[in-house]
This record gives sequence, structure tokens and C-alpha cells, in this order.
Amino acid sequence: VRSASAEELRQWLRNFDAAAKRPLRTRFRYAFIHTYKPVLDDAGYRSFDTMEDYRAWCERELPSWLGYGR
Amino acid sequence: VVRTRVAELARIWPLSSKQAEEIRDVFARHGVRYLFLGSGAILLRFPDTTQNTDLYVEKSPANGAALVVALQELGFVLDDVRRAEIQRGKDFVQLKDGPFDLDLVFAPDGIERFGDAWDRRVQIEGFPVCHPSDIIASKAAANRTKDRESLPRLRAFVDYWLEKHRR
Repeated sequence: VRSASAEELRQWLRNFDAAAKRPLRTRFRYAFIHTYKPVLDDAGYRSFDTMEDYRAWCERELPSWLGYGR
Repeated sequence: VVRTRVAELARIWPLSSKQAEEIRDVFARHGVRYLFLGSGAILLRFPDTTQNTDLYVEKSPANGAALVVALQELGFVLDDVRRAEIQRGKDFVQLKDGPFDLDLVFAPDGIERFGDAWDRRVQIEGFPVCHPSDIIASKAAANRTKDRESLPRLRAFVDYWLEKHRR
């Protein structure tokens, strides 16, 4: 995990201050987004006995650029 | 046509504030014990985007039964297999053909026991949310590429959040 620069940290703190002023409904409105994710979005239902099974499935089946791999 | 349009809109907006309120109210009515997990950071005012709603649900027969009833009331169509798997509490269940996408996590990485997370929970306008330290622990343990990318900013936010709530 990388470290943030001092300038990045300052910018993030400004973002945090701004977000703290937004009401919950606004946060929902802009935070929950959807873009199509190949494979992941192509089934209506999945279940896994263990989280390890799920992580292994993500590694094996999903395109790496989705970021679900380790 | 209207149903199709509604379904399309549901795909564009995976979870609206109204739907979140429905989760909160319906789950409360049925006594479901759950916590908003990764997406809970948004409720805590973390300025970010998320593509899924993930709930950490207590694994117990009674809670599983209540959860099934609550999900059906919210509009999820559950056949016998789904009902059984959710009620049993398989570690991870992903629902993507209901009124909104929902991940049910019964054993998240990085958090040992539901009861401990429940005791540490943060209540935001009636929404039960994992404590930010549990959200960090979960993402750190999952250790996916997307978690590693988001962790520095999330950790900075948690420091900010803890500082604000110490006052």
C-alpha cells in the first residue's frame, strides 16, 4: 500500500470537510454508481460456501482490471 | 414497458437513498441483525464512489430466517435454493437480479465475530454501520488490488473521522 504525499493529504482533508457538510441523501445520490462489470454482472445470483472460495473465483474468472484479484 | 424502464434505472442507480431507507426499515421491522460493511464508509461521509452494497449479516438460524422474509418484502425473488442458502448463511451471497444489487457477507475477511463488530457499530440516521476500524480491517484482509488502491485515502479518512468524534 503506497503512502500519500503531503499535498495529497491536504487535498483529501479538503474533500473530507466538504463531504461532512453533505446530507445523507446527497451522499447516496452521488456515491452509489454502476458501470457494467464483465462476468461479475452476468449472473443474477451467486453463492459461495467460504470467502476463500469467492476470492478464488474472482481471481480465476474476473478480468484483472476490475481489481478483484489479489 | 414501465417495468423494463424501472429495471434499467435500477441498473443505473444500484442503490438509491429510498432503497437504503427501505433496507433499514424492513430489516428493523423483521429484527434482522446486520451492518453496512464497505459501503458503510459512504454513510460515515467518506467521499468516494462504490458499485455495490455489501451487508455483514449475523449468521444464525433465526437471523437467516428473518433475513429471507425481509429480502422478499423488499422485492427479491428467492426460490427454494436461494432461501435455503441465505438462511443457512453461506459465507458470501450475491444478489444481482433484484430491485438493487446486494452482497450478503456472513464471514467477512478481517472481522472475527459479528457480535464484536455489532458492539463497535456506528449508528448513522438509523443505519447500523461497521466501525471504520472494522471497514479498514476488512479491506486490508481482503487485500484485493482495488482495496490496496483505496486504503491510503480510507485510512486518512478514518484518522479524520476519529479525530472529529473524539471531540
